[in-house]
Amino acid sequence: MKVAVLISLLFSWFSSQAQDKNNTLLLAEKFRLNGVSTQKAFGHAQKQALSTTVRLIRNDKLIAMGGIVDSRGYVLTKASDCVGAREAETSDGKTYRLKIKKRDEKTDLALYQLLSNDQVFPVLNWGEGNSTRTGSWVLSSYSMLKEIRAGVTSGKPRKIGREGGVMGVILGAEGDDIGGVRISEVVPQAAAYKAGIQEGDVITKVDGRRVKKRDQVVKLVGSNDPGDVVRIEVKRDSDLKSYNVTLGHRSVTFDLFNRNLQMSGPVSKRKDNFPMILQHDLPLPKNSMGGPLFNLEGECIGFNIARVDRVTIYALPESQVRNTLSKFLGK
Amino acid sequence: MMATFLLPILSAEDKADHAWNQIVPQNSDDLLEIQDRLQSLLPKVQGAVVSIEASDGAGSGVIISKDGLVLTAAHVIGTSNKKMTVRLPNGKRFPAISLGGSELSDAGMLKITKAGSWPYAKMAPRGSASLGDWCFGLGHPGGFDKARGIVVRVGRVIGNKDETMQTDSRLLGGDSGGPLFDFHGQVIAIHSRISKQPDENFHVPIESFLANWDFFQNSKLFTLAQMEEGGFLGVACKETPDGVKVIEAIEGSAAEKSGLKPNDLILSVNGEKIDNREELTILLASKKPSDEIKLEYQRDGKSQSLKIKLGDRPTE
Repeated sequence: MKVAVLISLLFSWFSSQAQDKNNTLLLAEKFRLNGVSTQKAFGHAQKQALSTTVRLIRNDKLIAMGGIVDSRGYVLTKASDCVGAREAETSDGKTYRLKIKKRDEKTDLALYQLLSNDQVFPVLNWGEGNSTRTGSWVLSSYSMLKEIRAGVTSGKPRKIGREGGVMGVILGAEGDDIGGVRISEVVPQAAAYKAGIQEGDVITKVDGRRVKKRDQVVKLVGSNDPGDVVRIEVKRDSDLKSYNVTLGHRSVTFDLFNRNLQMSGPVSKRKDNFPMILQHDLPLPKNSMGGPLFNLEGECIGFNIARVDRVTIYALPESQVRNTLSKFLGK
Repeated sequence: MMATFLLPILSAEDKADHAWNQIVPQNSDDLLEIQDRLQSLLPKVQGAVVSIEASDGAGSGVIISKDGLVLTAAHVIGTSNKKMTVRLPNGKRFPAISLGGSELSDAGMLKITKAGSWPYAKMAPRGSASLGDWCFGLGHPGGFDKARGIVVRVGRVIGNKDETMQTDSRLLGGDSGGPLFDFHGQVIAIHSRISKQPDENFHVPIESFLANWDFFQNSKLFTLAQMEEGGFLGVACKETPDGVKVIEAIEGSAAEKSGLKPNDLILSVNGEKIDNREELTILLASKKPSDEIKLEYQRDGKSQSLKIKLGDRPTE
């Protein structure tokens, strides 16, 4: 009975858009999780998200989002995505020149200021984000500051460990009779490939230390960060060769191989080494990281800090963000 | 007498009471009610969600019986009688063996081989999911991760036709085989495939399991190759509330020659009641192209019966 009522109502509300090319009945877009009708229900929270989020622009392109944390026009954003931002746009369409004030490596946050003579900016209200239960509504402004995107906290709040730099090779056989660790695959265009390392090479030394097991190679290489140079000695047939490999980011190197991610669009370069994160499932692109995350009450409970894959975003919880902000403001 | 009076009133109240039964949430109170419902259901169903590990990959699944039957996707098990490992939310691993499934719908089944009393989730009865229903998907995308826990995503049923349900509850690799629950905490589908749009993912409706239960449980895996080689009737069908309905009898096929017509409802094959389209396909494909079947159908409200000699599937 209940179901029948729902169906009949839905059908009467259907417009032509409800049928796709296979003549399959689909739920009209406006009723979906991120449809305009659902967005409207967020009311006050939607308004808060739109009015206190800014677009950060470089060469006329959106590179990150930010959140207004002080009425003087101070904006927090994701530092590594915002490099070179010159201009900011607010949801009322106004644009402002931007000045960088501070950066913090540990949290990957940066503080900018919107330059304006007399304007008093709307400031986001902080909520309490550390205890957010899995399955709680969260929302953020979407890229154009016309709509929001809603979803839920999808995993437990936790620390995300450091990933370390990678060469972009798959390690194969190991041991004494091989004389090191054989490379069974070289990821095209990745760090080792660019340095000249080839499939079949046997790694004998990493930074001068002799290696015989895969674990040793992984540990020695992984103790360096992306961008660091590691000296790799290999045996190729009977020749001994030595290469300087400038390590890459794990996400960028290996995700190229991952079909899921090919279908998902770019992910954040840095998505590791955060002291604490909230995980949620908002469908936001990589260039919309750095913006604030809100709860159903319209309070800011964190800042989106990394797009991890097609269904996962990490946000720094409000306590982390506010600690860093206090440091930035010299309090 | 009393009951007949009460029923419609109760239904109306039930509908008015719950935000998740409305076409769209109207305000933050409705959204809060949806959130509260989701969060009250999670602890009740999460215990039955498992990560499935095999030598060649990982996926998710859900235990649906006390003795450890697990529903998953056909592409997670791959083949029948394969040794696999099931991992409970507490991280403990238990041996399992793959049973059967169908490559057509991507339904798959396995069984925990260690005896025990397993936590299990309830399956929704046939036909309980409708377009627009709120739902939530659980799984272990990217494999088991204790610090992260089971990953939760919420959405609505945006399409439900034949062997496929579509939702805007988001999915990732490794979610495959994980359960989709309705807002009564019942399994309505199993995660199957992602789409290019993150908001239009594919799931195997629970009806695919219910209609082919014995076949799957008896470790039979229906493959697309089998479909190519098996007997061919030559009807295009769709699922309707009345049953499996013929939409076309293909020209020159056994179906056309036997006189089957659009709008005929297929009732049974060789006495086996047909519950869904996939069951019909599996039954026909398990016959040889020259086999004769007894087909019961309904036309203009009247049941009729036919003997039909199957043919070869045309090669295109």
